[in-house]
Amino acid sequence: MTKVLSIEKSAEEGLKELIKFLLENGKVKGVIALRKMGEDGAISYSLITSPNDVESTVPLFPLMPVNFAKQLSRLTLTEAATEPIAVVMRPCELRAFIELVKRTQGSLENILFISSTCGGVYPLKMAVEGNIGEHLPEYWKAVAQGELVPDSRLACQACEYFVPYTADITVSLLGNKGINKATTLFLNTEKGENIVEGVSGKLSEGDLDIATIEQVRSKRKAQKERLSDEVELKNLGIDEITKTFSRCIGCRNCSKVCPACYCHVCFFETETSQHGAVYYERELQKAGCVSMLSDTIFYHLVRLFHVSTSCTACGQCADVCPADIPLWAVSLKMGESVQKTFDYLPGKDMEEGLPITTFLPEEFAGIV
Amino acid sequence: MTNTQKGSLLPAEGGVQKGIIDFVKQALKQEAFDAVLIPSRVPAGDSFAYFLIQSEAVLEGATPLSPVMPVQGARVISSITRRGKGKNRIAVITRPCEARATIELAKLEQVDLENITIITMDCPGVMPLSDYFKDQGKGDKLFEDASQNWNSQPMRPVCQICDKFSAVGGEDLHIGIMGIKSDSVLLIPGSPKGEDILNKVGLSLEEDISAWETTVSKLIEERKKKRNESNQGLKSDIKGIDRLLQAFSTCINCHNCMRVCPICYCRQCHFDSDKMKFSFDDYVTRAEARDGLRIPTDMLLFHIGRMLHMSLSCVSCGMCEDACPMDIPVSQIFTLVGDRNQEAFGYIPGRSVDEPLPLTTFEEEEFLEVEQSYAGVSSRQEDQDD
Repeated sequence: MTKVLSIEKSAEEGLKELIKFLLENGKVKGVIALRKMGEDGAISYSLITSPNDVESTVPLFPLMPVNFAKQLSRLTLTEAATEPIAVVMRPCELRAFIELVKRTQGSLENILFISSTCGGVYPLKMAVEGNIGEHLPEYWKAVAQGELVPDSRLACQACEYFVPYTADITVSLLGNKGINKATTLFLNTEKGENIVEGVSGKLSEGDLDIATIEQVRSKRKAQKERLSDEVELKNLGIDEITKTFSRCIGCRNCSKVCPACYCHVCFFETETSQHGAVYYERELQKAGCVSMLSDTIFYHLVRLFHVSTSCTACGQCADVCPADIPLWAVSLKMGESVQKTFDYLPGKDMEEGLPITTFLPEEFAGIV
Repeated sequence: MTNTQKGSLLPAEGGVQKGIIDFVKQALKQEAFDAVLIPSRVPAGDSFAYFLIQSEAVLEGATPLSPVMPVQGARVISSITRRGKGKNRIAVITRPCEARATIELAKLEQVDLENITIITMDCPGVMPLSDYFKDQGKGDKLFEDASQNWNSQPMRPVCQICDKFSAVGGEDLHIGIMGIKSDSVLLIPGSPKGEDILNKVGLSLEEDISAWETTVSKLIEERKKKRNESNQGLKSDIKGIDRLLQAFSTCINCHNCMRVCPICYCRQCHFDSDKMKFSFDDYVTRAEARDGLRIPTDMLLFHIGRMLHMSLSCVSCGMCEDACPMDIPVSQIFTLVGDRNQEAFGYIPGRSVDEPLPLTTFEEEEFLEVEQSYAGVSSRQEDQDD
């Protein structure tokens, strides 16, 4: 059983009250959460240090402008936080950050993680069109019912890992019919339990409703099957790969926004992979022609290979692709199959070693 | 416009694209160059890419007037020649803005032009990638109809206000399409390299180009007017730091605008360097100093930094805007800033490879008015101090 804190306010308001309490009482130095910025209310992550700024935060807003794991890595890479900071992030972002910490690309020190059972986010395109606001009532209705959110990010519709694994505090949202009236916070760790001491709310004990979670999971699974049929990526053979990436423009934005792509210099941007005249002339001689976008499939395959054990299928890659390639489906497919092979779920457990860095004498006997 | 008053009329019964391809084939056969770099449909058929081609059969499928610009041609030329020219003499069939960016890159020592011959054509513009990829079949049709009528409405926003869609001066050979009698195109050499190609193919310079010049000039005037209006409108939207911040408010700091930009050639951008990574406490201090700190940080600083670095060479190709996941009018904003900066230096990027980059040139008697106003500011400052 886990300690549960219940605040008599709707989920987002209750969470904001908790954040305010933490800042007012000096329990944390700062809070990082989504926030409405400027006149047009553009949604961005923001680090706030004053309780007065809590009002403008929207910690549960269904948009992922950036995968925050990548940003938190940047923030904690040079030097970790020296005072407690609370961060509200989604389960896939949290998992991605754990993977980055395993790769020594960030620090968990002094961070209090608040996450939620996640209904998913809307595609960035919807933020561009500026009509997420209209969708919000529908979003919260679907979340409370534990239904798939219509028009949400395809990666989210296909996501089975919507319950955070390593959060100190989990806000119960999915399938929680009372989210309009009460905020249910599961205090998963001692850190989580201690920090809420003094918040006005009702303390009890309980667990997330397994039956509800399983129901949501089976809906997501079914949707995943449907969606991968639609993008014709059932088998992921070379023909499908070639077809999928044929319109890639080689901008590599998928890697730039990917939390698992942490290399400071990508191989494909090094001098080694800048071909020059000698290479192109040799290729030209072979076939009478050479594509100047020839390395795109090579790039994608290498990227998939590199990120496959740590990919948390957040879908950010697909959202930023100028050629609208269904990258989420490719990454999901590749990640799932590799992770299954190693019996590894990225970001689930900080203590679990990265598959590639772990040596087991009796592994993959069939291949050896 | 070009340094020759005459051109060669080339039959193009099968349409402009076919006419250009036939001409290239002929030139390859006559060894006017060894290979051609030209946009073509990718094998899967759903997009386009530059191909370096020698084979006549492959050339058949080239699309010199492709409906989209997935990669800016200048970047392609740079990737072939940045480490030095090859053995082959390569003709590049490219759009005027790509040619201009190429010339800028040559000045920045990112392109070696010695074995490159730049061939441009009157450009109808290109469609935004996202519009095209929504439905390629429809996109092909839309582009074909629009380009035949010089209707720029379905094209990139900056194509609609482009006043340098024709010969600008830096190209070796230009293919005139506008105002030419049907079933033919006009070849206008802009350099000895261009004249040499025409000689080798056996074309003489007998055709009067004034009808083409008149048609082009007319559209240039229209576009200049439109560009001015667009710039004026945008200026009121983005003037001042608050409004500029608003214009970029949805930016996710992916820096894709920079990565597809032909002019942003730095191997390591300052904003991606360790210089821009700080300790957590630094971020907290910054958050405390104002009402919170937006993350990713330094978003506007990046855009202003990029503006400062490349706006003098910006050719308004529109790649940045096409590659922006948040549909920020990056290219329109950079066009406004670029136009003003370029005008201040009397500089047109890509007009001539011999024209030095403004920032590499020192003139003693330059921008006196700036100096003057600065002198005023500092003396006022001194007054206050007293």
